Amino acid sequence: MQNNALYILLADDDEDDRLFFNDAFEEIKIQTKVDFVHDGMQLMEHLMDTNNKLPDILFLDLNMPKKTGKECLIEIKKTEHLKNIIIAIYSTSSSEEDIEDTFIQGANIYIKKPSDFNTLKKIINEVVTVNWHYHTSGLNRDNFLLRLK
Amino acid sequence: MKWIPNFNSSNSLRVIFVVAVFILLFLSSIAYKHNRDLDESSKVVMHTYEINIQLERLMSAIKDAETGQRGYIITRNARFLTPYIYSRDKVNTSFIKLKKLTADNPKQQQNLQKLFKLIIQRFVSFENCLKYSDPKTYDKRKLDNHMFGGRILMENIRFQVDEMNDIEKNYLANRLKIYDAEISLSPIFSISLFLVALSFILLAYRQISRDFERLKVYNKKLLISSGLIAESEVIGKFSTWQWDLDTSKIDYSDNQYRLLGYEPNAFVPEKETFLNFVHPDDKETVAKSMEEIISKKQLPFVYYKIVLPNHDIRYFKTTGKLLTDQQGSKILLGINFDITDEHLLNIELQERNSELEKSNKELASFNHVASHDLQEPLRKIQTFVSRISDADKEVMSQSARDYIAKIQISAKRMRVLIDDLLLFSRTNTTKKEFIKSNLNELLENAKGELTEVIDEKKATITTSKLPKLAVIPYQIEQLFINLIGNSLKYSQPNIAPEITIESHKVNSSDYPELLDQNVKKFHKITFTDNGMGFDPQFKETIFVLFQRLHSKTDYPGTGIGLAICKKIVDNHKGHIIADSTPNQGSVFTIFLPD
Repeated sequence: MQNNALYILLADDDEDDRLFFNDAFEEIKIQTKVDFVHDGMQLMEHLMDTNNKLPDILFLDLNMPKKTGKECLIEIKKTEHLKNIIIAIYSTSSSEEDIEDTFIQGANIYIKKPSDFNTLKKIINEVVTVNWHYHTSGLNRDNFLLRLK
Repeated sequence: MKWIPNFNSSNSLRVIFVVAVFILLFLSSIAYKHNRDLDESSKVVMHTYEINIQLERLMSAIKDAETGQRGYIITRNARFLTPYIYSRDKVNTSFIKLKKLTADNPKQQQNLQKLFKLIIQRFVSFENCLKYSDPKTYDKRKLDNHMFGGRILMENIRFQVDEMNDIEKNYLANRLKIYDAEISLSPIFSISLFLVALSFILLAYRQISRDFERLKVYNKKLLISSGLIAESEVIGKFSTWQWDLDTSKIDYSDNQYRLLGYEPNAFVPEKETFLNFVHPDDKETVAKSMEEIISKKQLPFVYYKIVLPNHDIRYFKTTGKLLTDQQGSKILLGINFDITDEHLLNIELQERNSELEKSNKELASFNHVASHDLQEPLRKIQTFVSRISDADKEVMSQSARDYIAKIQISAKRMRVLIDDLLLFSRTNTTKKEFIKSNLNELLENAKGELTEVIDEKKATITTSKLPKLAVIPYQIEQLFINLIGNSLKYSQPNIAPEITIESHKVNSSDYPELLDQNVKKFHKITFTDNGMGFDPQFKETIFVLFQRLHSKTDYPGTGIGLAICKKIVDNHKGHIIADSTPNQGSVFTIFLPD
């Protein structure tokens, strides 16, 4: 059972956001295991510790203390055993610059944090159920930013 | 470089002069020779004539002697013997003269010698005749013999004299022949040569006077331009100097002295003089560039400081050039500019610029951070409100439910405000990459963004062909979205919106007050709608940030949309204007440079 569950890791310093995130996962009723780290340093320590299982999808906030999301992204993509982790940027910012930068650094999708709980659920559902192999092969700048129909 | 007017005539003038002088020299030498020859000839004639006379005298003296002798013999009167006695002296005198006259001619001397012998014989014969005619010693046969011998001797003497005369005549004739041969130049030829020389000189004179006139004109021009230069140097705060490298003579223009804080010609400039004025910091640079100008023949601008006698510091800019003039001497020409005013202004400008840049950066980061950080709590408010489920609301009072609804509306409005503000600040701060784009495609994208509203309002949009221009594509798309969105938003109730978009190419000269006249052609794109319009007195203010013409309950908006439009058009160095008739519609016109 536990082995089949999707392993999700969220790196976010904001406690409320972690709460929303956790609640949303509980409500969508997909078998998942969700873990949290509170900043970039903690994230990298978690990933580098070989005792820890690697996440299937990493949700990465950009604006974090100690080490920013962008720095983590660059480090992950440089590290051989981490570079294949699916990375979803999860940020308040919707600036072109951030979207462009993270796209170039190899993130898989860019999610702007929604201001509605139901939207959050929809987004998480979408991200978790997407066929990542298919999505990644056809990845371009237009479908990088997640837009819900 | 032709900085000296070229007097072409001077060379030909020289040639003409030299030729004329040679012709004249030639003519005068011929005339001189002519004279000498004439002189010589007359001397020869005189010589011949003199010899002739002396010979005749000789002859006549002998004849006198003969006649005297005869008279004596016949009459026995001693008076008849007087000419005979004198004749000996006369003969001797003539003979000495003849000897002198013929000194240069050995043949004549020989003849003279012969003549002398004959004459002596003749006088011996006279003596004998006298002797045998004397009654005391009278001998008729001997007298006859001697008389007859004297006769023959006389013939011989005459013959000898004639021969000598002939030789002299021949000599004269030869001399005249040689003279004629030597005077080969005819007078006509001489005169024509003289005329040629004269015409050459006249030609030269004409050329000289012409050159002189031209010189006068150039002189006048030079005078005017040097006056102008001196005047412009004072006004333009620059000066010139010349440095003759061959003579090491340095000339400063009057203004050079003034720029250095002196009266004109207050000192005699030398090579080191100028360096004394240069600020210690820059001495090395200036000295080095002085050396370089000689090797490179040209001096790029050198910037340095000058210390005036009153310890003021002035900023100078200098350039120079090495010139080689027609005579091959090297002259260094230089211009100094006093750029102190510009320099100080520049420094001030730079300071202001960096201040501006700093405050601009601060503003941008403030804007970004404010909008960004404001979003966090707002998003949470919205999310928390959204988590209040319908079941929760059931147990609330009506007023509590209303409050929650109002919180939602306010939060939503706050979000729109922040989003628009972010958009506005981004139109300014994000990099502006101009890409040649098809405006028709950008318009289609804009319409795509607005599909929902267009469908909802049943709007029709009529578009003419738009140009291809070098623009910032996403900004132009935003511009179209905002303008069309604006028309859709302020449509008249119950009337389907009609928007017409047209494009024309226009000359900037047709809109002198609006457009940058340095760009000749603009594209004028008009957005005409049949909406509710606005009071034309607000046609300027609607582009100002946060300026709204309607209450936010009637028409939700932030007052940022049209400000963004203006900013985008400004970014493209274009212009946007609006006009309207209330209740009939508005026209928004944008001008984009071609």
